[in-house]
Amino acid sequence: MSRNRRGLDNLDREIQNHIEEEIRDNIDRGMAPGTARQAALRAFGNITLVKEDVRAVWIPVWLDQIFQDARYGLRFFRNNPGFTTLATMMLALGIGVNAAVFTLTNTVLFTGFPQVNGNDRILYISGPGGVSWPDYQDWRAQAKSFDDIAVVGELPVSLSDRSGFAESYIATRVSANAFHLVGQRPLLGRDFAMSDEIPGAAPVAILSYAFWEHRYGKDRTVIGRTVRMNSASTTVIGVIPQGFTFPQRQDLWVPVVPTPDLQKREARNLWFVFGRMSEGVTIKSARAEMVTIGKRLESAYPLTNQGYLPEPRTFAESFFGLNAIRMYESIWGAVGFVLLIACANLANLLLVRAAGRSREISIRIALGAGKWRIIRQLLLESVMLSGLGGILGWWIARLGVELYQVVVTPPSWFDHVLDYRMDYRVLGYLIAISIGTGLLFGLAPAIRLSKLDVNGTLKDGGRGATGGGRGRRISGLLVIGEMALALVLLACAGVMVRSFMNEYSADVGVKTANVVTMLLKLPDAKYPNLETQVSFFDRLMVRLQEIPGVESIALADSLPTYSTRRLPYELASDPPTDELRRPKLSALVISPSYFQTLGATVVSGREFNDADRVAVTPVVIVNQRFARKYWPGEDPLGKRLRLFDGKTPEAWRTVVGVVSNIVQFGRSRPELDDLIYLPYRQKKPAFMNVIVRTRISPAAFGTAIRQGVQALDSDLPISYYMSLAERLSWVYALNRSLAALFLIFAAIALLLASVGLYAAIAHSVSQRTQEIGIRMALGATWRDIHKLVLSQEMVPVGIGLIIGLAATLAVVPLLRSQLVGVSPFDPITLGVASATLILCAIVGAFIPAHRAKRVDPVAAVRHE
Amino acid sequence: MSTKGEGDRIELLQGTLDVLILRTLLAGPTHGHAIAKTIQRTSDDVLEVEQGSLYPALHRLLKRGWIAVEDGTSENNRRAKFYRLTTKGRKQLVVETTKWDKLAAAIARILRPAGHDPRL
Repeated sequence: MSRNRRGLDNLDREIQNHIEEEIRDNIDRGMAPGTARQAALRAFGNITLVKEDVRAVWIPVWLDQIFQDARYGLRFFRNNPGFTTLATMMLALGIGVNAAVFTLTNTVLFTGFPQVNGNDRILYISGPGGVSWPDYQDWRAQAKSFDDIAVVGELPVSLSDRSGFAESYIATRVSANAFHLVGQRPLLGRDFAMSDEIPGAAPVAILSYAFWEHRYGKDRTVIGRTVRMNSASTTVIGVIPQGFTFPQRQDLWVPVVPTPDLQKREARNLWFVFGRMSEGVTIKSARAEMVTIGKRLESAYPLTNQGYLPEPRTFAESFFGLNAIRMYESIWGAVGFVLLIACANLANLLLVRAAGRSREISIRIALGAGKWRIIRQLLLESVMLSGLGGILGWWIARLGVELYQVVVTPPSWFDHVLDYRMDYRVLGYLIAISIGTGLLFGLAPAIRLSKLDVNGTLKDGGRGATGGGRGRRISGLLVIGEMALALVLLACAGVMVRSFMNEYSADVGVKTANVVTMLLKLPDAKYPNLETQVSFFDRLMVRLQEIPGVESIALADSLPTYSTRRLPYELASDPPTDELRRPKLSALVISPSYFQTLGATVVSGREFNDADRVAVTPVVIVNQRFARKYWPGEDPLGKRLRLFDGKTPEAWRTVVGVVSNIVQFGRSRPELDDLIYLPYRQKKPAFMNVIVRTRISPAAFGTAIRQGVQALDSDLPISYYMSLAERLSWVYALNRSLAALFLIFAAIALLLASVGLYAAIAHSVSQRTQEIGIRMALGATWRDIHKLVLSQEMVPVGIGLIIGLAATLAVVPLLRSQLVGVSPFDPITLGVASATLILCAIVGAFIPAHRAKRVDPVAAVRHE
Repeated sequence: MSTKGEGDRIELLQGTLDVLILRTLLAGPTHGHAIAKTIQRTSDDVLEVEQGSLYPALHRLLKRGWIAVEDGTSENNRRAKFYRLTTKGRKQLVVETTKWDKLAAAIARILRPAGHDPRL
C-alpha cells in the first residue's frame, strides 16, 4: 500500500505527459498544433478535478477538510494579528507556567530517585531515629514483600593517600547489595561483594565519578590503589558511573561492616533501608507486612523496640515528606487555576471576535455548511491557537524551570535528587493541556456561533452573535468564573505568604548574627571513650578561644530547630516508673557558655562551667517550659532527676539553672518543647556541633577556625562549616521556595484575571453604547449612567465574589497542615484579595462608560 | 480522432472503467495514455472515456492492490509510470468479467425475449 501510494508522486508530470502524448497523436492524425492541443485538453477533462479525485482515493475526505480548515484558520490568524498575538501570549503564559510546575512536580512526585532503575518499585524504610543493624537483619530475613533490601548510613571520613594531605570527604556506608538493588554497576573495577561486609574483611571503597575526576584526574590505575581512610588502609575497588550518587551527594561508598557498636539494637545509626518490591506486591501490602514484622520485634525486644515501627515510604514521601507532597499538589492546583483563568479570558476574547465573525459564519451556514462542520472548524482554530501557545509555553516552561533553579537553590546535600528534567511525561502533559485548553475555551464560542440566526445576522450587519441576551449571559458567566478562580488563588497565596513570613520571623530563641557552626565527629577508633573525647574538645575550645576576634565558643550535639536525642528519665519527686513504660525527654549535650554564645538568657541559677565534670555532682539545666510543666509554682533549682542508659539508671542530677526557651524539632511550632541540657563532660555525645560567636562578621575566620581543628587532629573531617543562620534556614528552605512560587502564580493569576475582568466588562459596556446614547438623549445624567453600568455589571462580579469566597473556605483548609501561625480564613488576606479584584472590575466598567458618555447621542442612535 | 458521430457514442457506466483497465493491462504493463487509447480503439471508439477520469480509477485499483505501478520508458522514450496487473488483479478480472457476462445476458434476455422482432 505505501509502495503503491508512490503513485501520488509526480501526478502532475504524469498528467502533463499524457496530454503531450495526446497532442502528438492528434498531430500525427493531421491536426494543426493549436487545435491538437485544444482537442487533447478537451479529451482529458478538468485537470484540477482529476487531481482532487486522485487525492481523494488516498486521503479521506475529513482529513482533507481538516487541512482546509487549518489553512482557513491560518488565514484568519494572519488577518487578525493583534488578536492572535494576545491570545497566544495568554495561552503560552498559562500553559508554560503549568508545564514548569509540572516539571517540578514530576521530579518530586513521579520520577523517583535519579538514575535508579524501576524507581516506582523501590520503597525506603525507616523508623523513628533511623535503623539499627540487627533490625535491618531481621527485616531482611522476614520481609517477603521485597526481592531484596539494603541499608545505608552516613560515615564522615578523612582520607589521605600518597600525597599525604588529609582531606575530609563525605562517604556513605552501604550494604554490599545496594548498587545491585538500584541497578548500578561500577564503571571501573568491581561492585561490593558480601565478603566485604564481614567484620575483619580488608577495607574497600568505591569512588564517585566526580571524586575520581577531581582527585585522581580520571586515572584508571586508581583501582587497586591503597588509601588511608580514617587511619585504616583501604583499597579502591571501583568507580561508579557519572552522575550517580546515592543517597546523598557524596564522594565515596564503603561497605557497612557490623562492628560491635553497630550490633546493638538500640544503636539506630543507619539512615534507612530500601527495598525493591516483588512482583505483585503493593505499597499497601508492603506497609502492612513491615508493621507486622515491627510488632513482632517489638514484643521480642521490648526494651529497645518499644514504639519502634518500620515505615516503608515512596521516594517522594521519604525524601520530601508528606507536607511537601501536599504543597506540590496544591501548587499544581494553583497553576491549574491560572490556566482556567487564561481559558476564561480566551473564551471571552473569542466571544468578542464572534461579533466580527458572525457575518462570515452566517454566509457559510447559508451556503450549506453543517453545524458540526462549523463547530469543528472553530474548535480546530482554538486548538491551533492553544497549540501555538503550547509551543511557546514549552520555552516559557524551560525558562521558568531554569529561573527557578537559579532563584531557589536547594541545600547542597539535597540538589542531586532534584533533577528537573523536561522528560516525556512533561511533554505529554503539555500536549494534553494544550489540546484540552483549546477545546475548553473554544467550545462555548463555537457552539454559540453555530447556532446563529442566519437571516437576522445577515440583515442586521453581524451583531447577532454577541449583541443578544445569550452572549451577555455567557460573558456574565465568564466574569463570575474568573472572579471566583482568582479569588481562591489570591486567598491561598495570601495565607501561604503570611504563613511563611510567620515562620521566617518566628523567634527561635537565639541570636544568629555573627555565629558560625561546624560539625565534628570524633571517630570511635581514635577517641574510644568520654575521657579522650572531652580532652580533645577541651583543647579545641582553648585553641579556638585564642583566635583574635572570637567572642565565645560552645559545643552542642544538636542545633536550635534540629531534633535532639530522647532519653528515658525519672523525676525524684515522682513515683518510680515501670521499666517498659518509662517516659522520654528531649536532651541536648552542651558545653559551658552555650547560652551565652547563642544569645539565650539564663533565667535563674547558672550555666555549666568547667567544674561540671564526671567526678563531681551530676548536674542538669532545664528550660522554662520544662520547669513550668513539671514543677509549676516551685523553684526548680535543686530539684533532681535521673536518666537511664537502657535499663541502667544513672546518678541523680541536680538542676543548677533555668534558661529561656530555645526551639528544637522544626521551626516555629506552636508548642515549645520541654528540654533539658546536660554538660558534655558528663555525657558522651555521638558528635558535636562547634558554635563560634565572633565580634565581627565570621566570614574572615574560616581558615583560622579550620586550622585550629586540624592542628589538633589533622585527620578529623569538618562538615557543614557555615553560618548558624544558613544552617537554620535549611529547615524552612522548602517552604520558602513554595511560598515564593505561590506568590508568583498569584501575581500571574491576578494579572490575567484583571485583564480578563476588564476586557469582559469593558466589552459588555461598549456593547451598550447605543443604549447609553439613547438614555442620554432622553435626559439621563452621567450619574444615572454610572449607576446603571455599576448596578448591572457588578452583578456577576458580586456573584463571582460570593462563589469565590465559598470556594476559598472549602479549599484553604487543605493547606492547613502547611500553615504556621495564620488561620486558613485569614480576614486580611481575603479582604485584600477581594478588594483588588473588585477594583479591577470597577475600572473595567468605568472606562468604557466614560467613553460612551462622550459619544454624541445622535451619532450613537444612528450608529447601526 | 473519433470516426463515429456524436450519437453513436455511449457514456461509460459507473464502475465499468475499472474492469476495462484491468482487461487492458492483461496484455502487459503500460502507461496511462496508452490505456486510454487502447480502451477507445478496442471499443471501436464507441465507449467514451474522459481521459482524465482514468487516473482516479487507476489509483482506486492501486489502493485495492489489483494493479501495481513502476517507473519505465514509453515508446517515445519518455520516462513514464507503467501500470501492471497483479495476481490479485488477475483474479478480480475473472470475477468482474463473469459478473458482466451475467449482467449483459440478463439485460439482453429482458430487452430481446425469444421471437421478438429483431428490428426493435
